[in-house]
Parts: sequence; C-alpha cells; structure tokens
Amino acid sequence: MNQHGPQPDAHERVIELRLPSKLGYERVAMDMASSVARRMGFASERIDSLKTAISEAVTNAIEHGNEYDAAVKVVVLLTARDDELIVSVADQGRKPLDQKCMATTPSIEEALQRDDKGGWGIWLIRELMDEVEFTTAPSGGNQIRMVIHLE
Amino acid sequence: MMLEDELTVSTRERDGVAIIDLVGDVTTFAEEKINSAYREVTSRNAQHILLNFRQNDYINSAGIAILIGIVTEVNRHQQKLAVSGLSPHFQKIFRMVGLAQYAEIYPDEEKALEAFRQ
Repeated sequence: MNQHGPQPDAHERVIELRLPSKLGYERVAMDMASSVARRMGFASERIDSLKTAISEAVTNAIEHGNEYDAAVKVVVLLTARDDELIVSVADQGRKPLDQKCMATTPSIEEALQRDDKGGWGIWLIRELMDEVEFTTAPSGGNQIRMVIHLE
Repeated sequence: MMLEDELTVSTRERDGVAIIDLVGDVTTFAEEKINSAYREVTSRNAQHILLNFRQNDYINSAGIAILIGIVTEVNRHQQKLAVSGLSPHFQKIFRMVGLAQYAEIYPDEEKALEAFRQ
C-alpha cells in the first residue's frame, strides 16, 4: 500500500447488485449495466444488446428461479476487465432453467400456433452476447454467465 | 419507485389506417392494454393496423410474445399489420425473432401510411 491509497485490484472492478424478485427490478440491473458499459467505452448498439440480455436473464431469475418471492434476491455481478464485461445472474433455483431453451432456436411459425408465445429470452441472450454459459450458482441456483467483448 | 406499467396505449385513425400508439415500455404489464387496443380497432373493422412505437427503451421477450399474439389475431382476421417508430436495436430484434415477416417495419408513421396507400 502506498500513500495514495490501495492499488486497484480485481475486486475493485466487481460490482454486485442484489435485487428483490419482483418484475420491474430488472430495469435497475439494465441501468447499472448500461452505465458501466458506457464508461468502459462500449458502442451504443452493444449497450442495447447488453441491456436486453441482462433484462432477460434477470426476468428469468425473478419468474422461474425465485418464483416471484420478493424476499429472495437475484444476484447480479458485473466484472469489468480491460477488454470485456462479464455479467453473471444467479437465482435460488426453485425451478431449474429449461434445458430445451439453452440450445434450441425458437420459431415464430410454431409460436403463432401455440397458446404460449414466449420462450424467446434465453435465445435472445445467446444471440446478443459473445459468450453465454449456464452454470450452478454458489447458492445452488441457476446462474447465467455472459460475456461481451470490447472491440 | 415506478418500476411497472410504464406504457401508454391509445388508438386513432389516419387515412383509413388504425394506428395504435405505444408510448413507453412493452413488457408483461402491457398485455391487457395492447390486446384491448387491438380488439377496439378490430371491432371498428380495421383492415390496416399500424403499431406505432415511441420512446420504447424497453421491449422484452414477454412484450414480443404479446406482439406475436397480435400477429396471430391479425392473420385470423385477415388484416394487414405494420410497425413504425422502433429504434434500430428493436428493429434488429423484430427481424431476429421473425416478426418482420408478419409486420412490415417502417422508420416512421408517414412512411408506413405511404406504404399502406400503395
């Protein structure tokens, strides 16, 4: 440690957000991610993609992983590196992520025939982010880890 | 803290086109407002419908599902649907999802009305 204070280290570039599992709070995560990404120098269209991806991940965690229990938190971690931003979204895993959504491409023709016209969220995340990984959170819940590269 | 329901939906008519103005965010909270606006213009026998988006910073997958529901109804009633006013990001999302195959995308209301006239 020097007289100007502690040297920056990896921990100082991690931002953690704990959100109530209530729809609408995903906006707070979108705003935070957008603010960090802008300061890192991401282009505005990349920031739009990031906002959509994070909103889908947090919404999924609120609806499925935490089943709208406002007392249970969705944990969002942003890790800013020199060349990328890593976002992880973790829930309590009350319902596991739909395995099917992790690999398939939904079709609008099929959606038009179904009563449930949803199921686009995970696919959008996969399309919009540079890397996406589905893992288990330290809490035992679902965790989506997504990376967007600074070009 | 205002975190829900940030959408205003209204309807009007121009040049025989039923315009549904969507100002704000299109998420799960939008379902009843959008569906009732659609039912309203359809009850007035609208054949050409324009979803005119404005200031839509946030359209999520639940909002997309609502719009796919509108496309289903539009097909059933043999109406013609177009959209205008989407930001470049949401134009891209609409193309990715395939909504653009069922609703022509125009940059603004004037361009959409011009296309309906032809």
